Parts: sequence; C-alpha cells; structure tokens
Amino acid sequence: MPIEIADAAQPRLAKGVRLQTDSATGKSVLLFPEGIVELNETAQEILSRCDGRTLSDIVHALAEEYDADVAALAADVHETVADLAQRKLIELT
Amino acid sequence: MIAPRPYALLAEITYRCPLHCPYCSNPVAASLREAARRPQGGGYSNMPALNGELTTDEWKRVIRDAATLGVLQIGFSGGEPLVRRDLAELVRAAREANLYTNLITSGIGFDDDRIGALRDAGLDSVQLSFQSDDADLGDEIAGARAHRRKLDVAAKIRAAGIPLSLNFVIHRRNIDRLPEMIELSEMLGAERVELANVQFYGWAFLNRAALLPTQEQVTGAREIAIEAKARLAGKIDIFYVLPDYYETRPKPCLNGWGQRYLTVNPIGDVLPCPTASSAIPDLRFENVRARALDWIWRESESFNQFRGTRWMPEPCRSCPQKEIDFGGCRCQAALLTGNAANTDPVCTLAPNRARVDAVLRDINSSSDHAPDWTYRVNPKTLKS
Repeated sequence: MPIEIADAAQPRLAKGVRLQTDSATGKSVLLFPEGIVELNETAQEILSRCDGRTLSDIVHALAEEYDADVAALAADVHETVADLAQRKLIELT
Repeated sequence: MIAPRPYALLAEITYRCPLHCPYCSNPVAASLREAARRPQGGGYSNMPALNGELTTDEWKRVIRDAATLGVLQIGFSGGEPLVRRDLAELVRAAREANLYTNLITSGIGFDDDRIGALRDAGLDSVQLSFQSDDADLGDEIAGARAHRRKLDVAAKIRAAGIPLSLNFVIHRRNIDRLPEMIELSEMLGAERVELANVQFYGWAFLNRAALLPTQEQVTGAREIAIEAKARLAGKIDIFYVLPDYYETRPKPCLNGWGQRYLTVNPIGDVLPCPTASSAIPDLRFENVRARALDWIWRESESFNQFRGTRWMPEPCRSCPQKEIDFGGCRCQAALLTGNAANTDPVCTLAPNRARVDAVLRDINSSSDHAPDWTYRVNPKTLKS
C-alpha cells in the first residue's frame, strides 16, 4: 500500500542505517542490521540530500541540478522516498 | 568457477558462553575435540601449538582482509562475544575498515562501561537474544539466571542510542508464547525482531526430539507471526524464520554456497557456513593462520565444492528452482543423508524426503511429553 508523503516532510536516514560507497563497485549502498541495499541513481541522489531538508527542497534542488521538470521529478522522488520509508530505511519528521 | 565478492563476514570470536541453550548451533564439544584429532581436515590439526582462539592482532588482520575482499558487514558472534575483553578493539578495527558492525549477544557480560566503550568504538547495532518473554522459562532454557539481566541490558542499549534487534529462537517449549514474545519486543522498544524457528545443527540437532514443534504449534505460530508483521509494519520489522522441516521446498541457504557469506570460527578456520565444520567433517577447511583469506574465498576446495550449480545432482540439476533455493542446505543434506552433495531432504522432490517425514511422524504421533534436552557445555579445550 503506497503511503502519502507531505512536501514539508524531512526525510532522514533511519536509526542504524548507514549510507556509504561500496568500494568494490563504486556504487552507493545502504547498510543496516543484516541487510545491504544497492541504490539506484535516483535513490542515491535523494539520500545524499536527506540532511534535514524538506522533500520539496530536495525535489527543487534536483530539478535545478538536472534541469528537469519539477512535476515529473516530484513523482519519482515521492515514489522512491515512500519505498524507502516503508522499508524503514528512512524516517520522516 | 569465478568467485563472486562476499558481502558479510560472521566472526565467531569465541565458542565460550555463559549460557547453555540446548538449541545452540555451535559444534558439540565432542565433535570439536574429534576434529582437532583428525589427521587431515580441520586445517589446524597439524598445528597443535596454535590450537587456541585467534589473537586480537589475528582478528584485526582477518577484518582488514575481509574488507579488501569486498565485505561490507561484520557480525561479531560466538559463543558469547562479550567473553572476549578485546571486543571493542575489534569493533573499532571493523569501523576503520568501513564495515557495518553488528554484535550478536546474549547480553550477559554487558555493563554500562562496556556498552559505552562499544558505542564509542562505533558499534552500529546490537542483536540481543531472548529465550522467552517469561523469566522462569527463559532461565530454564538458557540453563542460567539470565532473563532479568537481559531486560536490564536491553534498556541500557536503548539508553545508549544503539539500534536494538531482539532474536528469539523458537522451539517446542516456547512457540506457544509467540504473542507474549512479540509484546515484550514492543515494550523494550526494539527496532527489529527475529522470530527464528530452530534450525537443526550442532546442539539443536542433538536435541531435535525435544525441540521440534508439532504441526499444530507451527500452524498457529505462522498465523500469529503474519498478523503481527502486518500490525506492526513501519514500527517493528518482524522476521519470521520458517521451521524448514515443515516446508515443502528448502531454504535458499546462504543465498548459495560461497556466494555472499563467509564465517571465521574462533580458531581461524574459514567456513562457507558456521555449521559446516561439524556437519560436513570430511570437507577440508582452511585456516587464516596458514592461508590468505582471499585465496581461501576464491580458490579453496571447501568454498568451491558447492559453488554455483554444477555440483548438483538430480532432481536439482533440472529443477527450475535451482537458482532460487540452490538445492537447500549442504549441512542439512550431510546431517540427514550422510552426503552433503545430496538435495536438501526438506524438499518434497528429494529422494530422501522420507527421512524428514519420519522425524515429523515421530514428533506428531508421540504423546504430549517431549523428551528432556541436553544442555550445551563449553568447549574447555578451546580456551585461549
């Protein structure tokens, strides 16, 4: 069941979750108890900006950086954040 | 065949433990002594002078070598890892190698100083075992007064801000208390709970008749676990490990032999799986004192023996599930059929499934009274 996330929500890495570069592949991974998730580019770009900014700030920062359409990007970002939140890898405050 | 890179190292830094749980997956002491006497195999048998636990420096080297191989996660386990006074130093070494560090512990031996030292060393997460939600039953299963100390330790871990997982091993004597165990996990503020039906290796294999639940118990527990998982979604992650004897297809053990995981045991033997040294005694395991970890992972006979799918017999070889369950568990095949290269007999397509069915028949047809178990004892020969 997809969850709705407010634009003002501030996503942060959940407690016990670490974001780091996998030196074997150069890709970003999330590490947590008994688990490893390799991140796709969208998720990595989002997570590297989860530093207290709101979801809407993150969407706008990405839109600017990649010269992308805000509405299309927002849908992508919301979907990825919802997925990560459902897996308890990020928390929303 | 070409070896993939490993993701996780299980560091069994000691087999010593203050608890005596009859379901322990550690090798039974007798088989350890036997392994040490074997002329071949064991890898350490011809080095009697080095027959103790790895030293701090040896573990640090193992940790660095594992990180170089591609390992991203380390689990410090045992036995009880807190028995070793150098645990915080090893955790620090693992963090310096950029590994995610888990401590898998009974909690006995934890005090404020040690929790602080481990947190300061960078410990990422603690998995605390409980034997039951009930103190009397928990202490009876552990063979020690442990339950109340665990409650105290759980609170201290939470207060130190370290993420907490609770691990319950589920068996015939505690499976009916699943709802209460889940309730305890909520009360203790755990982020993650593992409700793992006992798997039959080591002491648990020896005590199988006392530990294996009945069909009725298993059916009830499954419903409770599914309900709790849904109810607590987003709050506590609940992992329910199935009782595989009651399944029709085998578990995808290790995600394939020599694919993602490696274990180094207290004396430095490198194992594709922690139970392999006792379950498959005819396989020759290598030791970090004699060989480089990289070579052992890539080239050794023990890691290549069951890597990939070429070793598979029928019905696995032509099975569409072979890349999904990898033929199940090699240790289980060895323990139940005497040959590690057989299909895991849990699979209903396996020629030896009748052996599992016979065990289930015994459990489900006998009277309510389960036999007594044998408590785990410490391997005195392996003190460092």
